[in-house]
Order: sequence, then structure tokens, then C-alpha cells
Amino acid sequence: MFTAAAESFLRQAREIQEEELRRFTARVSALLQGPEAGPEAVDGLQRLHLSVAATKYPRNGVCCDSCRLDGKFVEQLQTVLCSPKSPEQIQVLCAAILREMSPCNDLVLSCDEIQDTKLLSLVSSVLLAQGSRGEVAAVGQRVVQGLERRLPEGQSARFLLPVLANVTSLSPGSLTEEQTNVVSKKLADWLRYASIQQGMAQPSGGFFSSPRTKQPAPITEVDGAVATDFFTVLSVAQHYTQDQWLNVQAFSMLRNWLLCYGGKELDTPNPGASAGGDSSVTPLVPAPAAPRERLRDKAFEYCQRLVEQSTRRPLKKEDGDLQKACLIEAVTIMDIICKQDSSYVCRAVPFLKVLHSRICGDATYARALLPIAQFFLNHSKLAAVDSDAIYKHLFSDIPAQLFHNPSLAFEFVQFCKDNSQLFTDSSSIFRQSFPNLFKFLAWNSPSLISEFVDLLPFLLDPGTAIEIFHLLLDLPCLTAALDIQLRAAALPASEKAGADPAGKPATCLEAFHHPLYRSMFQYLLRSRSAPEDAPDSLVPLQQLLGSLAGSPRVVQCAETVPVLLELFFRVVAEFADGSLINQLVVLLLQRSDQLYEISAFKEDVYRVLGSNLAMLCGLRPALVVELSTEILEFSGAVSNIQSKEAIFTHMAWAVGEFLSVSHDKRCTVEQITRFFETLEAVLFEITQLRPQASTPSCAPRAISVLMATLTKLAARSQDLIPRVSMFLSKMRTFVQSPAVTSVYCEEDLEEILIRATELMNLLKMPSVAQFVFSPPVASTQFQKEVNDSLPLALRMVTQLLEPAAGSMPV
Amino acid sequence: MVRAFVLLAPGGAAPCRVLYARTFGTPPGAGPGGPRQRLRRKEQLLVVARQVASQCQLLQASLGRPSSPQLPQLPDEPMSLQDAPGGVFQMPPGDPFPERVTVVWLSVLALAFALVCDPQENLSLAEITLRRLAPRLLLSLRLLGPGADVLLRPDAADGLLDRLLPHGQMLFLNERFLQAMDRELGLKVSR
Repeated sequence: MFTAAAESFLRQAREIQEEELRRFTARVSALLQGPEAGPEAVDGLQRLHLSVAATKYPRNGVCCDSCRLDGKFVEQLQTVLCSPKSPEQIQVLCAAILREMSPCNDLVLSCDEIQDTKLLSLVSSVLLAQGSRGEVAAVGQRVVQGLERRLPEGQSARFLLPVLANVTSLSPGSLTEEQTNVVSKKLADWLRYASIQQGMAQPSGGFFSSPRTKQPAPITEVDGAVATDFFTVLSVAQHYTQDQWLNVQAFSMLRNWLLCYGGKELDTPNPGASAGGDSSVTPLVPAPAAPRERLRDKAFEYCQRLVEQSTRRPLKKEDGDLQKACLIEAVTIMDIICKQDSSYVCRAVPFLKVLHSRICGDATYARALLPIAQFFLNHSKLAAVDSDAIYKHLFSDIPAQLFHNPSLAFEFVQFCKDNSQLFTDSSSIFRQSFPNLFKFLAWNSPSLISEFVDLLPFLLDPGTAIEIFHLLLDLPCLTAALDIQLRAAALPASEKAGADPAGKPATCLEAFHHPLYRSMFQYLLRSRSAPEDAPDSLVPLQQLLGSLAGSPRVVQCAETVPVLLELFFRVVAEFADGSLINQLVVLLLQRSDQLYEISAFKEDVYRVLGSNLAMLCGLRPALVVELSTEILEFSGAVSNIQSKEAIFTHMAWAVGEFLSVSHDKRCTVEQITRFFETLEAVLFEITQLRPQASTPSCAPRAISVLMATLTKLAARSQDLIPRVSMFLSKMRTFVQSPAVTSVYCEEDLEEILIRATELMNLLKMPSVAQFVFSPPVASTQFQKEVNDSLPLALRMVTQLLEPAAGSMPV
Repeated sequence: MVRAFVLLAPGGAAPCRVLYARTFGTPPGAGPGGPRQRLRRKEQLLVVARQVASQCQLLQASLGRPSSPQLPQLPDEPMSLQDAPGGVFQMPPGDPFPERVTVVWLSVLALAFALVCDPQENLSLAEITLRRLAPRLLLSLRLLGPGADVLLRPDAADGLLDRLLPHGQMLFLNERFLQAMDRELGLKVSR
């Protein structure tokens, strides 16, 4: 927590003046030079560290350009760090300050002369922070040198391996092939030949104690059994020897090491093998294994042993977690080894199949199923093995059972992203399981939304688009249903029998098994794509789950839907044919009535649906004619203009834009008239001079768009012009009526009036109107954005017609 | 490998604060040198901290817990981290690091601990490592007390990291190894 004391220290550190800092530095410097650097020096260094760490920007006019400290002092820090006489705590603090100010030009530090491995590790941490390839290489050289030679008495290689791992990860090219061979050889030895007896406790010392002459005990497994095979990270002892520590370090860095340096040998000094690498002829005298090959061999053996050890029942519960982590690592390393040398595949496949059958029923091992599946995806073709059962179990069962485990959810979705090519085959188990995948998102929305934005395009195709559309709109409802499912599963068996099937369920929990709702729950919670099983409507379920609509998890899920919907439409627009577009438009209008009752959710969804409705109509203008029944029904309902303004407005705009012969030859005068009358009735309803309590108030934008649409339609069927003109001329009275001015603001009313005037003026010249409103099929950006450019066009025309500004309709 | 470790106070209403941060080496050739590199490093860690704070608050909300829990009165109480909420998320390339990274985090009372890992890292091990670092840091830095040790004792934090996460290398330590390590460090961690 950030306490008042901490806050105050931080502020002081930031605000310290240069002069004060200089004095303080000088004092610390003097303390460091003294014979014994004691607690005062420690305290001083700690405060100096804070003063460096607390600022982001360097001070002006200081010697070292990346910090606020004097250059000579920085040099002193380096000297103190490397001096064997300095106490450890002082060294650690010097290193911390030097790291904090990195990168530093004044660094004279070098690891060449340092013999103590712990100090070497500390100094390396400073050098590796400089971001210089040269420094990284130098550290790499020094560490390999330290590993190659026999270390001085009391020094341990244990502190060098992590440095090496860091060098490898920062700049793999800094080591030569020869050096990596040296290290690979040592790693293989440490992995395979660590002592199998427990280390000895340090003697307690004291004058009167005699060293015990107990025999060292053998190491044990995590379940207490005496170990009968070589030492691994899952071996247990009271005290550990140095080489056992090295075993742990070696395994910990093994995966990255193999990825960097584990590939096939560049030169093949193996006289036994024929040129094509075919090892079917075994040589009489096997050649000594090249270092990489030997490491692969020992590593593979180690992983096999770990897998065996991972399913023992541990005496200490916490070791269980490590077992699972080891299992995952072991399978991953075996996968890498098989990629680097395919001769291991035939050994690995049966082994991993047995492992899979052993753990597939245990939910606590679920995360390990992912690397196993990845292995089979990578290698089963080579081994001509059928691994469909593995994928089926993974995709059908695991998400349904474990969607609530956030780590598994993340890793599962990563797995899908890493193997996205699997989803392109529409009949595959992977693609068919998308309803299951969305359960992860529904439950863990904040952490997985960006992953799903990457994944969704792979799930969408003409076959799945409709079902996914529904799924996205129902996503928050799915979250609520999953909540009920979890709670229902947690009930004791006696309560599960529960409700009276004849009556109505009293609670959501009761409803879960109730015949009225069971099939809806089942459909929503399905594991596989099943468009044919869809119930007519999920509205009853949505209403039942209404009490959960405010729960934080549901709300968080609802916030992800607009983003995904927008993406959905963008992707679908690329492949949708006419029939699919029509289907989507019909569904869009239908579903707008069937959304889970979360207010902000509905608003946002309407917004996305509205703009994409316009987009779809733009893609396929003929749909306005083809779906005229549905569109008329939607546009004619006055309630829609109030509750779903975004959709209504875009729909009205689309009618105005696209209902014309130039977009579809089947557009008749009767149709134009029918649309006209429907929209006219709506506009009439909402622009009454004395609005009643029942008159819906609606956004001014809707009024403007309706006026514009009616004008456009009239321009195409000129019999309608007098009706529109008369209507528009009444708008002046409308905007000035007292009842109306209390509902809308002044700017909006003025805008409406201006628009009405422009439209009326345009209608005075019907042929111009026709031109403006029926442009040739949009070929320029300007024409495409008519929604935005229409006001501009209208204004231009108005200015042409009425040189005197401010003319009002009579 | 782990690229960085961050200890932060998520804040809630107050802005989130980085209390301690440690990066494990700077990839060479990755951008501007000099003070701008240092600034960039600090900014990157702050972005990570803010994202952790945000995820932490969202998770607390969805679990129905208050976002700024009260501190226990007795800092010496043994910490049970089994129920401590945590999570994992990814940060895309360019935002804020040049390559993709995965962040594993753990929240304990009003603090959060985070590991910034390479994309293909063993996340199970990362979670284990965090659950081991957290109580030891809470103890060594007296994080539940009123003082400002976390700011003034970077050596204590460094010492722990040098053992449990040396140079960003996570270690497969079983419980006995962990005990041996605690003995070396002179720590008494309740079990």
C-alpha cells in the first residue's frame, strides 16, 4: 500500500535540490572510502537509490547524462562494487543504483577480473542492463569461461547459469558454436548425473559438537518413496548438494537453450550415418554423440522421468502445483526435441498417449492437455497417428467444465490463436466448437477481449455467420446462464431435484432444470455449433435472468459486445453474398427487440447495428426492395423511433438512399408510395403541434432524416411533391410551438427548420432535386458519404436558389 | 524468461503507483540510447502497472469484493495466498514493448505483483513464482506496515529476486528446495 510516509519520501526524493544532492553524495562517498562502510553508508546508498529511481528525467548540467549523480561518484560506485572487501549489502546497493541509472556512458565496469561467481552475477546484472551488444557478448564469454574451467574453492557455478540464460535470451548470437557445445555438454551432465544422495547439513559448529558420521540418505520422490532413478527437480532431500542445485538450474533454462542452440548439428561428424541422415544402418562402433545430440538425448530422458514423477501424489500439497508445471514444461520440451530431431517422434507418441489417457479425466491437470494437443498437432501426421479423440475431448469437454479458470481460459485461447489455421476447415471439431470457446470470453471478458478480437475472424464464414451473430448478441445472457450453471452444480444433490415441474419456477436456479426453460438453457450452453436447434426466441430466458443483468461480470461481458459486433460486420462484409446480407438485415431488425435488458448495452448495440445496417444496405441496395415487407413493418412502428433511434434513423436513411429504380429495376411507383406513406405517418405522429403524453419524443436527427427521406422519395415520384412541400412548410409552426420548444433545445429546432427550408427549396426545382437525390452509383468518396455530404449539397443548392439569406417558408 | 518484475499499489480511486520495479537486462539495439532509453523503460513499466491495476479492479468487481480492502491490523499474520485473486493478460507488440509480452499478476490486499514474461513462457511456473515472491516480499519489506521500506530497501527486494528469479530465470523449485533457499536467506516464512 502506498502510505503517507512513502508518499512523503517519494516527494522529497523528487524535489531534492542539486546542491543538497551533491553534499549528500559527497558524504556517502566519504563513508565509502572509510575503512568500514557501516549502516550509515548503507542508509545513504538507499536514499541515493531512491533519489535516482524517483525521477524519470535527468537533471541539467550534471556530469553523468542519464542520472543526477556526479561522474566521479559513479566511478566510485563501480570500484566499491567490484572490491572483494566491500560488504555484500553495499555491493548489492551499488549495483542497484548503477542499474537504475542505466544506460550509463561512464561505465568502466568489467567482469573479466572477477573470480567470485556471486559477484560476477551481480556485476553482470549491471552490464546486461546497458543495452549494448558488446557488453552482452563480453558477459557471455566470461560466463562460459567460468563454466569451462574448474572453479576456485568455494565458488559455485550455480550463480552463473542464470546469467547465461539471460545472455541467451538477450542476444543469442553472442556465443560461438564451440561455446554452446561446451555448455550443452555440461548441461547434459548436470541433468543426468547429479548426485542421488541427499546433501549434508552444514555442521552446526561449536567447540563441543562432533561432526556426525551419518551416511547420507538417498533422495526421495514427492510422495515419500525412495527414488530409484536419477535426480530431477521433483526429487526431495533435506539438504541439497551443489550439483543438485545445478540440476535445477539446468532444467529451468533448458527449454530456451534448446530453442536457441538445439537444432541439428551444422557439421555431422558421424561416420555411421549415410549422407541422407538415414539411420537404418547401425554402425558397429557408434560414434561419440555430438554435444547437441547428447543433450537432446539426456533432456528427453529427463522429461520422460518428470512425466512419470508428475502423477505421484505429493506429501506436500504445494508440490502438486509444481508437478503440473513440470509436466507442462516436460511435454513442451519433448515437442521441441521432436521438432529438432524427428527420430524421437516414435518414442514420444505412445508415451504421450498413455499420459493423456491418465490425466484426461482429472480437471486439475487440464492445463497440461494443451501442450499435449499441440504435440500431436505438430507430429501426429509424421507418426500416422489418429489423435482426433484428443482434440475432441479438449474442445468439447474442457471449456464447458473449466471456463471459470482464468489461467486455463487464457492459455486455451492462446492455443487457438497459435493454431488458427485449424479453424479454416469448417467441418473440423475446432471450428464446430466455437460456442464453447465463447464461454471463456463470457466469463473472463476483461482479460480475453483483445485475444478474441484476434480470434473472431478465423471463426467467421458463411456457414457460421448467422449463429455467431446470435451468439454475440446473447453473450451477456450466456454469462448469466454460466453463473446459474455453476451455482446449480454446487448445490447438494438433495436440492437438485427441486421444483415442481407443473408450476412456475420461483428462482433462476430452479428454472435451470425446469421443463419450461431447460431446453433454452441447454441451447445457450451448448458445446457445438447447432443452428438447427435454435429455439424461436430466448426472450423468456432473458427475462428470467433479468435479476442478473446488473451483476459485474455480466456488465463487463456486455461491454465487449459492441467491439466484437463491429468487427463481425467488418469481416462478414468481405465475404457475404446477397442471401447472407438479406438474412442478416432481417435478423438485425428482429433481434433488436430481443436483447438482454442491460441499458447501456442496448444503447451501444443499437448504435453498432444501426451504422452497420446502413453499411449492409450500401453493399446491397436491392435489399430495400427485396425486404420491403420487413422494413415497412419496422419503419412503421412509431415506438421504434424512440426506443431504437439509431437503427431507425439509419433504416430511414437507407430507404431514402436506395429505394429507387437506379438501384433496383423492380422498384415501382407503388412501392415508393407505400414507403412514403408509412414514413409520413410516423413523421406526422412525432411532429404534432400539441404533443400528448403518449407522443414519443425522439432525437432531432430522426426528424431530419425522415424529412430528407420523404423529400428524396418525392423527387423520384413527383406526385408526392405537393404532400411533402406542405408538410415541410408546417415545420415552422412546429418548431415554434411552445409545447415543442420545451422538449427540444434551440439549436436542434433551428437545425430542423433550416433543413426543412432547404428541402422545400430543392423541391421547387424537381429536376435538380432528382439529380441531387439520385446520383449515379457512388464512385467517389464524396458521393459515398452522402449521409454527411447531403447537408452540404443542400446548402449549396439553397444558396443558388435564394441569394437572400434567411428566407423562410411561407 | 521474465523481462521485468513490478510491485505496485493499484490505487483504486488514487492513481496507481509503481513501488518497486526490476528489469532483467535490456535487449541490445532496441531503440534510443542514453536517457531516452531509461525514460522509455520507466514508461513501459508504468503502462504495465496501469494495466495490471485496471485488470485487478475489474476482477475484484466481478468477484464482488471491495476494490480497496482494509489492511489487517497485524502484519505478522500468516498470509494465505490460495484465494488471492490474480490473472494473466497479453500486451500486443508495440504497446508498450516492441514484442508481444504476457503479464501474470497477483493481488494481495492493496498491492499487486506482476511478472512480464516472454510470450511462450510457462505460465503455471510464473504463477507459482509469484505466489512465492509475494509473501516473502511482504515479510522482508514489511509491506503491510506503515513504513516506506519498499522504497528505501531495494537491497532486500533485490536479494529475494536474486534467489527466486535470478536474472529473470524462473526456477522449478519444489518445497524442500524452497525451504533450503529460505534458510540461505535467513527467512522464516510460515507454512
